[in-house]
Amino acid sequence: MLRITFTKVLNGAKLSPKHIYVATRAQSGEVKKPEKVEVFIDDKPVYVEPGTTVLQAAAMIGVEIPRFCYHERLAVAGNCRMCLVEVEKSPKPVAACAMPVMKGWRIKTDSEMTRKAREGIMEFLLVNHPLDCPICDQGGECDLQDQSMAFGSDRSRFTDIEFSGKRAVEDKDIGPLIKTIMTRCIHCTRCIRFASEVAGVDDLGTTGRGNDMQVGTYVEKLFMSELSGNIIDLCPVGALTSKPYSFTARPWEIRKVDSIDVLDAVGSNIIVSTRTGEVMRIVPRVNEEINEEWLADKSRFAYDGLKRQRLVTPMIRDCNGELKPVDWEAALLTVAKVIKNAGSQVGAIAGGLADAEVLVAVKDLLNKLGSEALCTEHTFPLDGSGTDLRSSYLLNNKIAGVEEADLVLLIGTNPRLEAPLLNSRLRKGWIHNELQVALIGPKVDLRYDYEHLGDDAKVLKEIVSGRHQFSSKLKSAKKPLIIVGSELLERADGAAVLSAVQTLAANTPSQDKDWKVLNILHKVASQVAAFDIGYTPGVDKIREGNLKALLLIGADEGAIDKSDLPQDCFVIYQGHHGDQGASIADAILPGAAYTEKQATYVNTEGRAQETLVAVTAPGRAREDWKIIRALSEIIGAKLPYDNLNEIRCRLEEVAPHLTRYGSAEEANYFKQAEQLAKKIKIQLDECTPIDVKIKELQDYFMTDAITRASPTMAKCVQAVLKQKQSKY
Amino acid sequence: MAKYFGIDRIFTFLKTIKETGGLKASLYKLYRMDSLRPGQLVGTDKYGNKYYENPHYFYGRNRWVEYAPYYGMDYDGSQVPAEWFGWLHYKTDLLPDKDPSRPKYKWMLDHTENLSGTPGQYMPYSTTLPKIEAWRPPAK
Amino acid sequence: MHERQPPKDGYIYVNDQLPAMDMNSLTDRAAQTIFLTELIRGFGVTLGHIFKEPATINYPFEKGPLSPRFRGEHALRRYPSGEERCIACKLCEAICPAQAITIEAEERADGSRRTTRYDIDMTKCIYCGFCQEACPVDAIVEGPNFEFSTETHEELLYNKEKLLNNGDKWESEIAANIHADHLYR
Repeated sequence: MLRITFTKVLNGAKLSPKHIYVATRAQSGEVKKPEKVEVFIDDKPVYVEPGTTVLQAAAMIGVEIPRFCYHERLAVAGNCRMCLVEVEKSPKPVAACAMPVMKGWRIKTDSEMTRKAREGIMEFLLVNHPLDCPICDQGGECDLQDQSMAFGSDRSRFTDIEFSGKRAVEDKDIGPLIKTIMTRCIHCTRCIRFASEVAGVDDLGTTGRGNDMQVGTYVEKLFMSELSGNIIDLCPVGALTSKPYSFTARPWEIRKVDSIDVLDAVGSNIIVSTRTGEVMRIVPRVNEEINEEWLADKSRFAYDGLKRQRLVTPMIRDCNGELKPVDWEAALLTVAKVIKNAGSQVGAIAGGLADAEVLVAVKDLLNKLGSEALCTEHTFPLDGSGTDLRSSYLLNNKIAGVEEADLVLLIGTNPRLEAPLLNSRLRKGWIHNELQVALIGPKVDLRYDYEHLGDDAKVLKEIVSGRHQFSSKLKSAKKPLIIVGSELLERADGAAVLSAVQTLAANTPSQDKDWKVLNILHKVASQVAAFDIGYTPGVDKIREGNLKALLLIGADEGAIDKSDLPQDCFVIYQGHHGDQGASIADAILPGAAYTEKQATYVNTEGRAQETLVAVTAPGRAREDWKIIRALSEIIGAKLPYDNLNEIRCRLEEVAPHLTRYGSAEEANYFKQAEQLAKKIKIQLDECTPIDVKIKELQDYFMTDAITRASPTMAKCVQAVLKQKQSKY
Repeated sequence: MAKYFGIDRIFTFLKTIKETGGLKASLYKLYRMDSLRPGQLVGTDKYGNKYYENPHYFYGRNRWVEYAPYYGMDYDGSQVPAEWFGWLHYKTDLLPDKDPSRPKYKWMLDHTENLSGTPGQYMPYSTTLPKIEAWRPPAK
Repeated sequence: MHERQPPKDGYIYVNDQLPAMDMNSLTDRAAQTIFLTELIRGFGVTLGHIFKEPATINYPFEKGPLSPRFRGEHALRRYPSGEERCIACKLCEAICPAQAITIEAEERADGSRRTTRYDIDMTKCIYCGFCQEACPVDAIVEGPNFEFSTETHEELLYNKEKLLNNGDKWESEIAANIHADHLYR
């Protein structure tokens, strides 16, 4: 991160970062690192790289300079002036965020001049800031509030009690997620910089100057981005606040629980804020390796789906064919009887939100009963190495690694909507690192320029054989990446696609020995863990199996229907939302959603992470693996674990990396996987064009049981569709 | 001379009985209020409670309320409405109709006594919707 | 009866001392016991008080003096227009030392910030008055009423409607109290 700011500062912040890099790149190769310079912060010496800003140098020795507009992940703007500090022999205070240090500078962060400058700036900011903290959602976590306490004056010179001249700005309507109270805006332009640099949606900007300056969208327009929620976190005041969260809680009364997002396969780190047993909001947690400090809108705002359409009590279908609530005892006895009678003719389908614990418990139970019909809802090619070698189903080069790439080939994926945070990395690489992107698949809007190579499989074949013009580019790239969407591999010829890609990856050289060219991008959170544990991808086994009992573990995508099953097959749905799966079930066992259990998820790069209990599951719902454990005892095939530690030990037995939380387990055997892949018989289907389900923003919001139950997500879809009709 | 021997008290007593409305009424009042005192009626509230004052008595006893007759023996301290509360508690010497700091808005409610133990008593209830909306199986 | 002995060893003997046993004292005591003088003196005091004005007040009819700052039963106030004052800033909830206040809020249909739940557990409340001090809009006040005792515990778990009703009922007195005190804050 520092590198970017550093280069920018060297070249003056006015240039666009993309240009800067071009300018500096040529030199950085030959010129060796310049020596460090010594500066004095409050008389403490510190050695820093030349080009480091005063603010960064101060941060190195733990002196925090107040700021509003400066943000370490955004370009330097230097317009709030809050970071003014005194530099010895300089006649006026300098803006610490934008000023690179010079040798021997003596910076005083707590001198009379600095304090007076801060007080003055604070007074100017507060002149036009409304005193509505009691109704402001930012109250309690507001930078302006905190800094005016710390650095502001202790008395007011504001005499206009007739309220004749205080600035008032009309609020903008920028969609159902973000509430704007523009009178509170202090024009730090963080939101504008985020929108243009990270999100790539240049909708926000300023109009007017001086006292009449306004931040807005020029015309009334939806802020159409899948990362829009991040500007709420960035806003140092209460000008941009969360609409679904508005007025519902205060920062001092919420309990914060670190957790993991499971609504896509990225596994963003989140903080679940709860109050009185209710999830109030979800905010990102910094994890440089996954989500930096951003969070996608679906992950951030779909939490109201956790309060609707919930399964709160076990249900059994009665003789009239209606689902009736029963107590746990009756439900477990009925289900146990059915499973016992089914013997080995019992199967299970794991949905996209299932955690590793329940996956392993179900697998152990069914294996004990003599069944192997354990499937995942989303399929994956089984030919070749299939899911035996982890390298063929992971995002091997890791999410953070994407930034370093210089050429990325996306095949059958729309990373902007399937994994928005991966896309933000790609965009970051594109801006700061001269990353070139090419795409095979439908032409989708990724918010950066890419070379569209076409949308049929023929192109892929040509590239693999080296006949395509892109092949040479791929060969000459220093750090090439191939990212394949898991959806493409769900096709009938998925095995052929995977094989082709594996061959291509093996033939694509990279400078770095540890660089992994082949990357698979999954769409659902449970998939990698399910493969690691040994589930069979796809539901073909279930269709053929002539099953008497089928256990759906949160399988809601409609991969299997009643008509696919024998007449007398008893369907048990275990999950947290009443959706497609629950409506076809004969018995419902209510489970816990991801905010309600301590559970393991493995993201698309193979990184095991755990969610923590933020709230208790509603009604009679229980943690999923505990239900399976209770059921196993009644069936008579008691599973040998009674608490979380014991089931974690079992997880470790199955795959040790599943309990190494936070670290991504490297995959190996690329060569072997590629060799095995060569043996497959299926031919690449060149007639069917490569397609992705989620093409446009309106498809992004409602993709699983939780988001489909969320009113906020429904509003987002409406808003996007409405915006599409608007002429702007 | 009469005052010296306390004879005037007898006259006051007789006058009080007369003002109260005769011997029977006086006995009832004595039974109901445990005291029978001369006083000047300063006002009546809309519920029929009568407010008396007699500066002859010391501060703290010189204002009193006679609850409306229909309360019978079920009088209660909480039957004094907000308008007269301040006067009765010696916060102000202004009578409610003379006090400019007492607003009258149309949304202001009638006074009710403490209804605990009666069918009209307050019982707490939730003012919010349930937090979790349960799924209802689609009707067949 | 007995004179207190002057301190001898640096301390005073404060317990009952033995009665004097000389002839004079003995006959004195005997005479007083035989003629019941103590009893008669006691009755005398009682008789005297019958003719005196009582020092107590006759409560439900006479009431003691109260300050405008008296902190009694809570009430939520309204603006003159009838709009409720509370803006759900939750400062009272935050400052409440007994944690007796529970607030839940959301956006009302017109976009204003309002509570959906404003509960005070009057049995937890210690009547410190911090809530009315914290309130930026004078919405929550401790009214003048102290005659709200109940027969059951649950009746003292006040919810928002009860508090608003209190405000509507007591507004006349609450406004007068605030007016009486306005010069001092």
